[in-house]
Amino acid sequence: MKKAILTITAMLFFGLSFAQNAKLPENISIKTLDGKTVETSVIQNDGKPIIVSFWATWCKPCNRELNAIKEVYEEWQEETGVKLVAISIDDTRSASKVKPHVDGNEWNYEVYLDQNQDFKRAMNVVNVPHTFLINGKGEIVWQHTSYVDGSEEELFELVKKLANGEEI
Amino acid sequence: MKKHLKLLFVATIIIFMKGQGSSVKAQGIMGGHVTGNVQLDGQFSSRDSIIGATDVPEKMLSNVRADILYTNGNFSAGLRYEAYLNPMLGFDPSSKFKGQGIANYFVSYKTQNFTVTAGHFYEQFGNGMTLRAYEDRYLGIDNALRGVNVMYRPFRGITFKGVLGQQRYFWETRGLVRGVDGEVNLNDLITSWNESKTRLTLGGSFVSKYEDDETILSDMPGYKLQLPKNVGAASVRMDLAHGGFGLQAEYARKGQDPWLDNGYIYKPGEALWLSASYSQKGLSANIQAKRVDNMGFKSVRSVNERQMLYINYIPSITKQHTYAFLSMYPYGTQTTGEMGVQGDFIYKFKKESLLGGKYGTDIHLNASLITGLDTTLVGGKGTDGYTSSFFGTGETYYGDVSLEIAKKLSSKVKLSATYGYVLFNPVVEGHPGDIHHNHVLVADLTWKINRKNVLRFEAEWMGSDSKYSELVDDKRCGDWIMGLVEYNFTSAWFVSVSDQYAYNDGVGNYYNVSVGYTKGATRLQLGYGKQREGIICIGGVCRNVPASNGLTFSLTTSF
Repeated sequence: MKKAILTITAMLFFGLSFAQNAKLPENISIKTLDGKTVETSVIQNDGKPIIVSFWATWCKPCNRELNAIKEVYEEWQEETGVKLVAISIDDTRSASKVKPHVDGNEWNYEVYLDQNQDFKRAMNVVNVPHTFLINGKGEIVWQHTSYVDGSEEELFELVKKLANGEEI
Repeated sequence: MKKHLKLLFVATIIIFMKGQGSSVKAQGIMGGHVTGNVQLDGQFSSRDSIIGATDVPEKMLSNVRADILYTNGNFSAGLRYEAYLNPMLGFDPSSKFKGQGIANYFVSYKTQNFTVTAGHFYEQFGNGMTLRAYEDRYLGIDNALRGVNVMYRPFRGITFKGVLGQQRYFWETRGLVRGVDGEVNLNDLITSWNESKTRLTLGGSFVSKYEDDETILSDMPGYKLQLPKNVGAASVRMDLAHGGFGLQAEYARKGQDPWLDNGYIYKPGEALWLSASYSQKGLSANIQAKRVDNMGFKSVRSVNERQMLYINYIPSITKQHTYAFLSMYPYGTQTTGEMGVQGDFIYKFKKESLLGGKYGTDIHLNASLITGLDTTLVGGKGTDGYTSSFFGTGETYYGDVSLEIAKKLSSKVKLSATYGYVLFNPVVEGHPGDIHHNHVLVADLTWKINRKNVLRFEAEWMGSDSKYSELVDDKRCGDWIMGLVEYNFTSAWFVSVSDQYAYNDGVGNYYNVSVGYTKGATRLQLGYGKQREGIICIGGVCRNVPASNGLTFSLTTSF
């Protein structure tokens, strides 16, 4: 078992030795709400920032976050051109409820289904909500897990920095 | 041999990474990335006879897991380290997880039209009724297949998948599973349908398992059962959407498959699942129905662990409640046989309307009813077991109705009020008794004092006709009240205090204090108190958690 620990240490070391921002994976299959399979490369925003938010219909904090952002989404878009992409990790039990849930809550986000959780695993998401910020080059520059009322304002400060070309 | 394979695998990754590292200098381009996540959970539990927590001789229990993922363009590889020293209470009753090691490893090559993965993989055909290899780390479920997984798209709109592998069983792999799946998206395939408002996807799958013969004695003395070594299951499915309307269906059948849970009977299995929905902005409705008859499908016939070695997955259609008293009696699919219907309705009263007020009002209504099948016994082991009528229903297993009203009262205060009625038959958990009827009320209030300080209050009440008795020892019985206060300082810190107390016909007082710190994708949480005994359902699957009493901690991080 020492081998395993050594291996992991070695991997971490090699990993960190050329640490830089990982890119958003491009070739993972996800589904649109009308059942079409697409690749994660469809997550694009013409060089402007993207928020990628992992959520589930049954997750209360996720719903609070997406409902809170809904109230200010138009302003955010006008000011920074940001786009929010919501990735549902609902499995078969609730996947067919995702479209009704999104429409019923009047969310104007781009929503995809990650039923087999391939995207979730590739992004190392442990719990939902888990939110990523992607810059214009498609690099993951920030991530955060959990949601507390009001923390969408912290998120927007970061989006504004990105839109202005600042480092975060 | 296994060890050598692992070493070879690790060496490949390191060589890849080193190569990448030097090419960074040479070309100034960095193609490869290492990401991962670590999770550490632990508990110091002490005995408590009232809530039934048992002694922990080793004082501390812990579950640890670390995933490391390397990606470089189309190539990716991963490793997972797991340690259970010793497994946390309720996670692993048979204690077969005890130990540590590399539990999962894979290499994968992916392009848009072709993917091949060797090693451990997760896969789902359609809704999972014939095959779903998946994991849920909190439930101790990991049905990963170890073998080869291929996806191929010969034309736009057509996808084929194939799997061949053995299933994870604690630290071993068992069984042999082979499967193919095909899916056609007609809008992608037929050019003139590309822009059609009607979207149609059709699919089908076939999965087969192989297991060698074993000796299972029949009910007739001196005879053993003649067991099928290969068992197949097939399904067809459709997904139709037109504007706001949606219709999804899947039908699956399974050949003769005598195994432990069905009492070694030879009746073929079948399952049907239907979902219809309509939605527009601010209004949606969804209705689901299903019928499951002897459709449990495991890669090994005679294995006791309830969650292990399932090849397929039949979802529960009931709503996944998250408030403590509403989810006190979670429902898990009875794969041996059940019927059910479920409905969901969401409506938003607009801002400035009579019922909407200044900020609008959301309502969410849900109802479900699950029953057994109407069956007639025809024999025991080695026979067809029973016959069932397609539309007939048996005894009631579970039912619920809930109405949630959520409203923003001011720019700082949000209130959500819920009424729920839950009906639960303990027979689905394998013990006899009367059906429990529960009424539940929940008030959930969030007060955003200012940008940095947020308070949340939750009050719950449950009135039940069930009474606690030492004979059955079901600690959910009786009438309960609960209170919770949570204080958040920015998104970084939180403190919560809660208590659940049985004030009539029940036993128990579950108090808990938790503190948490979150920074980026790292989260540390400490808790002290009593954990309720019962089933915890996450992601739609349920597991028994015995009571624990004492200090718990949890650390998760992603990088």
